[in-house]
Amino acid sequence: MDSLKEDLKKQIIEQLNLEDLQVSDIDDNSLLFSAEGVGLDSIDALELIVLMEKFYGIQVTNPDEGKDAFLTINTMADYIEKKRNQ
Amino acid sequence: MNFITSCCRITEKNCLINGRIVAHKIEDSPESWFKQLYKHLALEYPKFYKMDMLSQAGFLASEYLKKEYPEFINSYADDEIALLFANQESSADTDIRFKDSYRDHKSPSPSLFVYTLPNIVLGELAIRNKLYGENMFAVLPKFAPDFFLQYGNILLSTGSKALMAGWLGVLDGKVEVSVFLVERDKDNRMPFSEENMIKCFSDQA
Repeated sequence: MDSLKEDLKKQIIEQLNLEDLQVSDIDDNSLLFSAEGVGLDSIDALELIVLMEKFYGIQVTNPDEGKDAFLTINTMADYIEKKRNQ
Repeated sequence: MNFITSCCRITEKNCLINGRIVAHKIEDSPESWFKQLYKHLALEYPKFYKMDMLSQAGFLASEYLKKEYPEFINSYADDEIALLFANQESSADTDIRFKDSYRDHKSPSPSLFVYTLPNIVLGELAIRNKLYGENMFAVLPKFAPDFFLQYGNILLSTGSKALMAGWLGVLDGKVEVSVFLVERDKDNRMPFSEENMIKCFSDQA
């Protein structure tokens, strides 16, 4: 699970072009879409949907599901694990 | 009469406020020069990491100016401060990255695409400081103090009471940034003139 979270952070930094950010700068519980967290916006949400399909083979088709899944690194990792086990 | 009340210059190695060096690049640091400046400012604004270098340049210069002169923003209503910026390279730095990313990944990156216009930096400054005044970003052949003087004076005589203005030269690791504040009727400051803008642009202010 920890390696999945590490991998997720790397993918987010690379795919969202957050080049000045390091894996250690993102806390597992930081809110991804909050100004007090990582500060992502709606454009980044699109990138996250593409990232989920491209790297984890998961299609996020339900907006409500995505809203909960993309809260933090922890929730994203949980979501991926749950989908893998379905 | 209009006056330059503060100026910030960022080069590839130094950050200067009113001619005084406030930060110097640590060459062997793993962090980029702009990230070093962001950390030096000790801000909590994660959106900084999403910005392209052009927006980061404008953001950093404006934050250093606010740190030097904290009362500037609050001295005016939200529509009284105009933003007037220019450069030679437009958003070429990000345009090239977007083109390369598209070529390498076979799909366009929305997060890069949103920065492929130079005036996005004005939006970043407006969002950060809740500014709703006039704004303009010009692409010019070279640093042109007469442009800033003429356009700035028009803005200051047609409703704006202050300017945040400057040159944001950023391309391929080269950095030539000079941002200054202009206000009306401030005694004992540098008159808003071509000569004094050139001083701001050459570390002599």
